[in-house]
Amino acid sequence: MTKKTVVAAQAAVVVLLAMTLGCGKTDETAKVTEEKTAAEGKEYQPTGDEGTITGKVAFQGQAPKFPAISMDADAFCASKHSGKVFPDAVVVNDNGTLKNVFVYVKSGLEGKSFAVSDQPAVLDQKGCIYEPHVLGMQAGQNLRVVTSDNTTHNIHPMPKVNREWNVSQPPGADPIVRTFTRPEASIPVKCNQHPWMKAYIHVMGHPFYSVSGQDGAFLLKGLPPGKYEIEAVHEQFGAETRQVTVPPKGSTTSDFAYRVGQAYRPSSLPMMPALVLHCCAEE
Amino acid sequence: MARDVNPGADRQSTGPDPIVDKSLSGPLLIAAFVMFLALGWALYAELYGGRPWKNHQRRFVSLYTSYLKKLRPRQLAAEKAAFASPELQKLEEQLTAAERSAGPRLSEIDRQLTSIRHRLAILKEPFQDARAKIAALTYELEHATSANGKRSIRHDIEEAKKGPFRVALPPEDGKALIVPASLTFGELERRFAECKSREAQLIAQQNEVTSESRELRRKRNDYLSERLVGLTQQQIDGLLRKMNEFRVEIKQIHIEEAGLVERCESCHLGIREPVTMTAADMGGNPLFVSHPVKDLMAIHDPNRFGCSPCHNGNGLAVSSVRKAHGNYEHWLWPLFAKENTEAGCLQCHFKDRVLEHAPVLTRGRDLYELKGCAGCHRYEGVDRDADGVADVRKEIQNLQTRQKESRLEMDREIKNGDQANSNEEAQKHFARAENLRVTVSNIDAMIGELEQKSKFLMQDLKKIGPNLKDVRLKLRRNWLPVWLRDPHAFRPGTKMPKFRLTDDEIRAISAFIWQSGLDGPLPVPQAKGDAAKGKELFETRGCLACHSIGEGDQRIGGEFAANLSRLGEKANYDYIVRWVHNPRERTRPYCPHEKRDLGPEDYSRHGLPFVADPDHSSCPNDGSELQIQNMTVMPSLRLSTEESRDIATYLMGLKHEYAAYPADVSYMEDASLAARGKQMVGRYGCASCHEIKTLEEAPRIGTELTREGSKPMEQLDFGLLEHKARKEGWYSHRGFVERKLNDPAVYDQGREKAPEDRLRMPNVQLTQADSRALTTFLLGSVDSPFRGEFRAIPAQFRYLPTDQQRDLQEGWWVIKKYNCMGCHTIQVGQKSVLSALPRYQDPDWKEQLPPSLLQEAARTNPGWLARFLSNPALSEEDVHRNGVRTYLAARMPTFNFSPNEVRILVRFFEAAAGQPNPYIALKLEPLDERERLMSRALFSSQAAPCLKCHLTGDERHDRYATAPNFLMAKERLKPSWTARWMLDPQAISPGTAMPSGLFHRDGDRWTFAGPTPNVFKGYNGDHVQLLLRYMFELTPEEQRRLTRAVPTAPTAATRQSETVSSGVRSR
Repeated sequence: MTKKTVVAAQAAVVVLLAMTLGCGKTDETAKVTEEKTAAEGKEYQPTGDEGTITGKVAFQGQAPKFPAISMDADAFCASKHSGKVFPDAVVVNDNGTLKNVFVYVKSGLEGKSFAVSDQPAVLDQKGCIYEPHVLGMQAGQNLRVVTSDNTTHNIHPMPKVNREWNVSQPPGADPIVRTFTRPEASIPVKCNQHPWMKAYIHVMGHPFYSVSGQDGAFLLKGLPPGKYEIEAVHEQFGAETRQVTVPPKGSTTSDFAYRVGQAYRPSSLPMMPALVLHCCAEE
Repeated sequence: MARDVNPGADRQSTGPDPIVDKSLSGPLLIAAFVMFLALGWALYAELYGGRPWKNHQRRFVSLYTSYLKKLRPRQLAAEKAAFASPELQKLEEQLTAAERSAGPRLSEIDRQLTSIRHRLAILKEPFQDARAKIAALTYELEHATSANGKRSIRHDIEEAKKGPFRVALPPEDGKALIVPASLTFGELERRFAECKSREAQLIAQQNEVTSESRELRRKRNDYLSERLVGLTQQQIDGLLRKMNEFRVEIKQIHIEEAGLVERCESCHLGIREPVTMTAADMGGNPLFVSHPVKDLMAIHDPNRFGCSPCHNGNGLAVSSVRKAHGNYEHWLWPLFAKENTEAGCLQCHFKDRVLEHAPVLTRGRDLYELKGCAGCHRYEGVDRDADGVADVRKEIQNLQTRQKESRLEMDREIKNGDQANSNEEAQKHFARAENLRVTVSNIDAMIGELEQKSKFLMQDLKKIGPNLKDVRLKLRRNWLPVWLRDPHAFRPGTKMPKFRLTDDEIRAISAFIWQSGLDGPLPVPQAKGDAAKGKELFETRGCLACHSIGEGDQRIGGEFAANLSRLGEKANYDYIVRWVHNPRERTRPYCPHEKRDLGPEDYSRHGLPFVADPDHSSCPNDGSELQIQNMTVMPSLRLSTEESRDIATYLMGLKHEYAAYPADVSYMEDASLAARGKQMVGRYGCASCHEIKTLEEAPRIGTELTREGSKPMEQLDFGLLEHKARKEGWYSHRGFVERKLNDPAVYDQGREKAPEDRLRMPNVQLTQADSRALTTFLLGSVDSPFRGEFRAIPAQFRYLPTDQQRDLQEGWWVIKKYNCMGCHTIQVGQKSVLSALPRYQDPDWKEQLPPSLLQEAARTNPGWLARFLSNPALSEEDVHRNGVRTYLAARMPTFNFSPNEVRILVRFFEAAAGQPNPYIALKLEPLDERERLMSRALFSSQAAPCLKCHLTGDERHDRYATAPNFLMAKERLKPSWTARWMLDPQAISPGTAMPSGLFHRDGDRWTFAGPTPNVFKGYNGDHVQLLLRYMFELTPEEQRRLTRAVPTAPTAATRQSETVSSGVRSR
């Protein structure tokens, strides 16, 4: 009971103090927060000092093999491929590098905001395969899904943070244009009618990301000088980070290497397994 | 007088007069000072001390005003943005145009209306006067007695009608001069009627002319209200005005019929404001927040319900927070603490099993069942099945009495009829006798129904713990004492609570339990299975919706049933195989009449085979209804024997290798210990949760808790802690319950008690959140809300659900009983246990989740649903599968629901989806030949995706399928739902594999979004309806025809022969 009285007394003192200080104080704090949001909302203006980070993603060891995709369910899809088609889960380039690794700036950009590209990020459906398999885009940027196939697809991203959708796209239909409003790594995308069709969309809060291509190289450009943590994410092997410093107007190289058998940190979200549900005959 | 002349002389003799001689200014000054102080004190009390709400109110006005002022520009900007949108601009333009074009016509109508109304006004008075006069004369005429009188009155009426009535009527166009006219009553009446009908005509015209602009204005307002979140600037201004005119005064609610006077809002001023305010918005002052759940306020208008019926506290007091919140000795109903707020809901909603807005309370109710509290503590309404059995028995008795009386009455009537004096009278008696005969037969039917019901209720009776009659068949002997010592050490989080047992007690109890177990028949010996397959099955068939596996951080799965991580240390493999295969399979049927378990000998005596199943459920000795199942809620997953072996093999492999068990437990066979053991088992109430031989009918050992929250404080035994509790401020129901739950022995502290007198309640090991939830539940468990004169809450506050609301609540009991929410989404926003498992985070496995049941009864035909619930395989022979979604690895189990429960569940789903009962299927227009051709062509075209995912019955195709067979649509689905589903499945079941956007809106019909086959040319019908009708007409032959028409790729064999073994495999 005595404790309560003390608390009550303290509360009374606080109330009194607040009363004497009056509304002026609340207004001040409000002003501060307003200024703060204004600062956050301000877009970064390039100063000409920006630098780049480049690098390669090497791959060491025997690449895991996957069963060929069976496109029996859809005659059109099967007709578009003469040879066997393998899942895109692990693609090792001829020069021993790893394709489809998403590299992005993980930290070091806090408090800065960047213009959102007015060009849409494009996801194509070609021969019942997503092109590209890994797609980076900015939150708020348009995603434009087009189809080059003469069969009906449905595009079903399964985000955890953003809103989920699943829309049908028949042959010759208009492109589907949508946005993801919140940054979120590794949003799996699938087509329920062609279960082998898988893609990942990485939605970033900034424009500094890159996907390793045929040569295993990535490029992050236009970065304000400073210290950054960059991360490489691969759907099968996981994530790895590097600390890099970007000098003014300079370029830094930072390579990644994935070794088979080595345990990597899982990326922030669970990734799809390489094997699709219906790809294999029962043994 | 004379004596007064020299008063001083007298006084001189008696000493100085203190009044005259002494100065009183000192005492006066002191008195004045005291008075001044008193005045100061009074003013202080008036302004601060005794009226704290006054300052709160002033403070609120200033805080709220500044908050509103801050809000205003933001809302104004939003409003401006909405106004600036091209759509609204267009609407505005249209509105102006419509108003302009209607203008001339409208002003003409207005002019005419004015003129007509003017004429009406002139006519009205003479007309009404004349009419009244004639009516009066007519009345006299009707009441006149003599013929002469009548005649003269008739004459008067005629005269009155002649008038003449002089009126100066302006002509209709209003231009010509006013011509006075003299009219008869008939003419007057006609003109008046003409003017009236003209007026009505003009008003109708006016409506017609303005209809377009009215419609546009409505659209504009709708547009604005849809796009503006929060208040408009106008509304904010209104609130600001209200604050300007704010009067500092007691804010009081008085609800007369409830005898309720509440002044809570004298301080909690923001509670009802339409703006959402947090403490931060109000300068960090939590006193002024708006009610955190506006929905609840909308349902429970404070002007009707007040505050304290939900929150408790003393609504009258305003002198201090402590008093107003009722936190003092003389107020019996202190304000519920924040974490127990939802206890208030239960005070009126005691009939509701699940309350949408009260998750903590609902969790408390769940725990009460889940942790087996109901085993020892009776709680009204919780033992639904046991109470149901008793109720039905009573009802049957009543009916039998009524029937007997009716029979006697019938005999009497027949006898009376036989002896009647006239045929007529005899007929009357015989008719009555016939009626009674029908009544007797009706009662027969009712009794028959009730007997069925009682049988079903037996089937629905469950026990929270396993059947201990099977211990010898199921368990390793030396595990039992270890378990009894501390169940939570072996299996953290288990429902089995920890009893405070001495070594002797453990020995005695183990010995009794072991010796009371059945010896046989032993489960059939089983071959070993494949543990790896078993693991996969265990993780995918759905076991994890109820059971958990893994320890510590590794633990995954549900909390509804046991964690099976160390099963291998305790169980017998053969028994587990039997259990996994069919947990309801009972070793020996139990006869409640004879109070014993029957064996083969009882059956062979009557020349019967030892079979006890739903078709053989009566006792061979006396015909009474047997308990033929294990009283467990665990369902059958319709696993094959091999699968059961695989799972059992996997589970038996789960153990701690280093676990040590006492080697010598021979005392468990010591018959001399059994008697003491039985006494202990009775004392601790083990038979409340377990079936134990000879203790089947053991009574409950705990106090009833239905009214625990309103028990008088002095009846709560704080033991020696009362003083401490008072000192520390937890001498309250909440303090008592919370401490008791966390440490059931707490009130024995320091007391000298014989062992048998000590508190028996075991420790259930609740987490803090769970203990809070259970406390909330118990605090809200009050005597009917009538609480004496200070808190008389009228009966109409209590919520007694009726109709579909009742169906919903009845359903919740069954849904919670069997943990349907482990696999399904049943409430909006609720996530099933399975959906949270790591495996189901994978997009491919996500499709493998059991369906959401949010609109189940809107989707399915109730008759079909009832059939499915009783037999989810939808087949008597092919049982090792799902009836609808054969492609799911998870399996809808067979719960052995009794027809009672099936009925309750179907009604629940109908209520949840607002479906009328009974369901009458609408007839669909049959397809004509062309339409059939069109549908077939579309279904089998490359553009239509339907057959890529939906099952067709063709084995090769179905390996890829992820959706049900269309053949079932006719029986299973409701057409209206199916059409909605085809248009936007994501709106019905977010995240479903079925895509939206398959159809486009084209005028007033829906058309397929992709290219359509040529036969569609010139077809003007709705494509959704077309496909729907086709689906509902589909026959197996038609489906075969369809699948043959679908283009296929080269055979699977050639493509898949080249698969390579892989490192990562999910399935």
